[in-house]
Amino acid sequence: MATALETVRDYAGGGEYKYGFTTDVGEDRAAVGLDESTVRFISNKKDEPTWLTEWRLDALRRWQGMVEPDWQKPQYPTIDYQAISYFSAPKSPDDRPKSLDEIDPEIRKTYEKLGIPIKEQELLAGIAVDYVFDSVSVATTFKKKLNELGIIFCSVSEAVKDHPDLIKKYLGSVVPQGDNFFAALNAAVFSDGSFVYVPPGVRCPMELSTYFRINAAGTGQFERTLIVADKGAYVSYLEGCTAPMRDENQLHAAVVELIALDDAEIKYSTVQNWYPGDRNGKGGIYNFVTKRGACRGKNSKISWTQVETGSAITWKYPSCILQGDNSQGEFYSVAVTNNHQQADTGTKMVHIGKNTRSRIVAKTISAGRSDSTYRGLVKMLKSAEGARNYTQCDSMLIGDRCGAHTVPYIEVRNRSSQCEHEATTSKISDDQLFYCRSRGVPEEDAVALIVNGFCREVMEELPMEFAVEARKLLGVSLEGSVG
Amino acid sequence: MLKIENLKAGVEGKEILKGLNLQVKPGQVHAIMGPNGSGKSTLAYVLAGRDGYEVSGGSVTFDGHDVTEMSPEERAAAGIFLAMQYPVEIPGVANSYFLRQALNAIKKARGEPEVSAAAFMKLLREKAAVVGVREDLLKRDVNFGFSGGEKKRNEILQLAVLEPKLAILDETDSGLDIDALRTVAEGVNRLRSPERSFIVITHYQRLLDYIVPDVVHIQAHGQIQRSGGKELAGELEEKGYDAMIGAVAA
Amino acid sequence: MSAATLPVSPRPPAARRPQAFVEPISSFAEAFLAQAGRLNGATELGDLRRRRFERFKALGFPNQRAERWHYTNAARFLNRPWHPAAAAELGSAMVTPYLAGGSRARRLIFVNGRPAASLSHVQGLPPGVIFKSIGRVLAEEPAAFKALLDQDREDDGLTALNAAFADNGAWIDIPAGVKLEVPLQLLFLTTVEAGPTPMTHPRVRIKLGAGAELRLIETHVTLGQSKGLTNLVGTVEIGKGASLTHDRLQLLSEGACFVGQLAIDLEAEAKLKQTIATLGGEFVRNEMDARLKGNAIDCLLNGVYMPVGTEHVDTAIRVHHLAPGSHSNQFYKGVINDRSHAVFQGKIFVEKPAQQTNAFQQNNNLLLSDDAEIDTKPELEIYADDVKCSHGATVGDHDPMELFYLRSRGLDRATAESMLTYAFAAEVFERFSDVPLKLLARRMAFERLPGGSALQGML
Repeated sequence: MATALETVRDYAGGGEYKYGFTTDVGEDRAAVGLDESTVRFISNKKDEPTWLTEWRLDALRRWQGMVEPDWQKPQYPTIDYQAISYFSAPKSPDDRPKSLDEIDPEIRKTYEKLGIPIKEQELLAGIAVDYVFDSVSVATTFKKKLNELGIIFCSVSEAVKDHPDLIKKYLGSVVPQGDNFFAALNAAVFSDGSFVYVPPGVRCPMELSTYFRINAAGTGQFERTLIVADKGAYVSYLEGCTAPMRDENQLHAAVVELIALDDAEIKYSTVQNWYPGDRNGKGGIYNFVTKRGACRGKNSKISWTQVETGSAITWKYPSCILQGDNSQGEFYSVAVTNNHQQADTGTKMVHIGKNTRSRIVAKTISAGRSDSTYRGLVKMLKSAEGARNYTQCDSMLIGDRCGAHTVPYIEVRNRSSQCEHEATTSKISDDQLFYCRSRGVPEEDAVALIVNGFCREVMEELPMEFAVEARKLLGVSLEGSVG
Repeated sequence: MLKIENLKAGVEGKEILKGLNLQVKPGQVHAIMGPNGSGKSTLAYVLAGRDGYEVSGGSVTFDGHDVTEMSPEERAAAGIFLAMQYPVEIPGVANSYFLRQALNAIKKARGEPEVSAAAFMKLLREKAAVVGVREDLLKRDVNFGFSGGEKKRNEILQLAVLEPKLAILDETDSGLDIDALRTVAEGVNRLRSPERSFIVITHYQRLLDYIVPDVVHIQAHGQIQRSGGKELAGELEEKGYDAMIGAVAA
Repeated sequence: MSAATLPVSPRPPAARRPQAFVEPISSFAEAFLAQAGRLNGATELGDLRRRRFERFKALGFPNQRAERWHYTNAARFLNRPWHPAAAAELGSAMVTPYLAGGSRARRLIFVNGRPAASLSHVQGLPPGVIFKSIGRVLAEEPAAFKALLDQDREDDGLTALNAAFADNGAWIDIPAGVKLEVPLQLLFLTTVEAGPTPMTHPRVRIKLGAGAELRLIETHVTLGQSKGLTNLVGTVEIGKGASLTHDRLQLLSEGACFVGQLAIDLEAEAKLKQTIATLGGEFVRNEMDARLKGNAIDCLLNGVYMPVGTEHVDTAIRVHHLAPGSHSNQFYKGVINDRSHAVFQGKIFVEKPAQQTNAFQQNNNLLLSDDAEIDTKPELEIYADDVKCSHGATVGDHDPMELFYLRSRGLDRATAESMLTYAFAAEVFERFSDVPLKLLARRMAFERLPGGSALQGML
């Protein structure tokens, strides 16, 4: 599996190369600031139909009337949204680093620790290299297979042109334009993202990953993903990767919408390792993400698994709207913060249908001077007869300069529903550390070992090839946190 | 008195009892032994009528009546008593009050006159003496803050007061040290009578040294695999479940 | 990877969210105008009260947009035309059912906010013990009361409102080393004679010197169908090694609103065991802010709420661990029926120096109706690593196993259910230190339980 994934990563790079950067940079950059003309410029550049331009403009108008949220724990300076450029084509090869020698040695060290092959390192670092690709046939086979099954997997831009009915029907149906400040911003200026549609009764035979998709790169800032599993369909989707991806933009505001119809299941796994800033808290990505899944059909299921180790600021709450009777939502999360990182993440489980079930397992690890918050909502509406929720939140503190917080909101309006919430906070156990070290395991490895044990329940939910890398990642993220 | 024929039952659609047969005559003590997962506790819950335990086939007749459609309280009134493995704690409700409510509810269901508070206290003290329960346990809240041994003794006290025709003891020996086990067993032995039958469910032979059964059954895979006299328990202790059940299968 | 720097500017200090507060209606100003000159200590405190009233007008009433009030629109309940309560007399027969603490207890009894001397009994306490009304404090040494008001938090409209009107309440001082054997009871009664919509703003100030001990019983009762607002502000100081047991029972009628804030400071080795039972009231908010300032403190906060009808009960607790090696425990239970709404917001803060903290929190709820609502938010905010902190919250119906146990003993389902509901709440009643109070709470609880009358025999 790992090999296949690597191959496909290569192919993504190939795509990037193949489609080139021949356009004139000057023409492809919207002026700084955000107003109607910016939105029209973006929409026009992407050659979008009028209805989508109007949809974006509607979002912009909503955004203009909104206040940036201030309830989250992380503190960050005020962002001047009028001083940002909201559209720029990817850099041409000339502007990119020429070789790995130009890359920050710290980052190269990280690549090596994660065991990432040189070729892939170069891709991740965005180095302009001419590869001779032997993997085109692999990708063709893969595309062919999906086509045969009727599975659509392309960029949202392509889908707008090729599958307008599906986009019209589902885009914004889970996260409406005015949902929140960052979602509205995304809706107004979204760059691109993945679109997946799995037809009735089809089980997608492979893990779909952003890597598979041509033109995946350069869409990071305001990414928009839409996944629809029709009746009885199944799909597993992987987002992100363990290695710190190069990114030019400090502000990220992505939106992910999932829709599961009757008896359908969507499994969405994320490993997020954007640049967290340096040891002193300088720089780092601000990551404001709105992810939400709608279990629209009966017996449907949506499962979120996330390993969050990157970004200076993380603000995300992958949620499930459990509308269909007997539908299920799951949220498995590991959030690691070190140095000056701040994370505020969790989930919302909204129980609407009868006998809906949800399960939340959140593991929070704080080290250095970082702050990590689990924030979650479990809501059982009057209609949610016989609904059940189980929540387990565990926090671990490494060192005495960090913070770990748990903020659950539990709202119940149905007597036959049941909610159970448990949370604990503790430090990394001295006994365990001593035990490992007395058996010859160096302290940092021991920390990685213990933290991996602490997170096991979540890691087990990751697809196999992801899990191996994610385990290494936990150790790397916590480096320098002890001793 | 109790006749179980080809009983099939389970939880959440999973069949656990797969055609179980058992017949208990008045005054008899039957022991049911079996490994974990053999369905012993399921049998106890099915007989007492716990919600969620569904009978999918066969019959259970008690005193000539089919009990499978009866509620737990109707079965209690009919004379079935289950001493539970994990008795429930009820803070704020005095043990004596609870038992009087229970006894009067049963009497009412049978059309008998209720017992006054004073008469009940007298009865309760007598019964407590019979089964060796200290008086302070009567004043405390139902099982609340009781030790494991106290909880089991309290179950036997309830048995003594409610005077069922059939008492099912579900792993009453679990978690008891040898002294507590002996006290509980002595209490049970004093309650034996020609009209009262017992089903003693246990994993180990130990309890049967104190409560000597008339018939011993070995239950596995949701069925009674072997039945015999009390010596069967000894044989089981010696050979182990694997050998005994294996032998049946072979 | 280096990324383009985001255009940012330092964030201005967190501004109060403008939509989170509601301006008071004019009746408050009218009441203040009419009342200010008549309050105890009008001369000495006139200016201070006016300033506090201005502060109240500026801060107003919170609604759900203020995070401390996430699930309660306080303005909806409180921003109404209340009027200062009229004086009234009560016969002792009306009061007797609510007496607690036994025959030796000393009591301050307030009727419509004013101390009823004929009903109270404060004599014969050991030397140095002070147990008197704030009305008396204002007559004897107004500066002491002024000093108390000077310590008020500045960000809260309800505290300011209390300060503007407060001219009575209780003043308790237990000197170092005095272990008071007899309990003290504060009984606050409101009667219909108080006027159609009376409001009172009692202050309670309790101070225990090092090693002192006190058992305090606080009862709030509205007689008949009295409406009214009680806006209580209390400060509690528990000195080193001192011990306070505090029972609070609230028996309020349908139209009565109660907001009570207690700021509790605990020094090293201090002990607090507080138990609150809320049985009635259109709107009741119990807010506790405990600051654990030393080591080896034991802080237990117990509570139970049982709203029926359209009642709304809100409990907001903040426990701050400021020093190492202390223990706190919050244990709250709720039985929520009919169309009522219950809220529990409990927060544990563990500050950096507070290593070896043990802090726990449990909130369990039984929802008895599909029209009722429970919102619970048990929060942890932790900055020290060597701690053991946990919380749990449950919402649900009766445990089927428990129900089965009772039914298998012969009880019908309805009786079994009401017995289990009672037992669920009783676990908290059992924590009352005062037996007469416990019995009163139980009796009043039966009236709030479906099928509860059948259980009266239990007493």
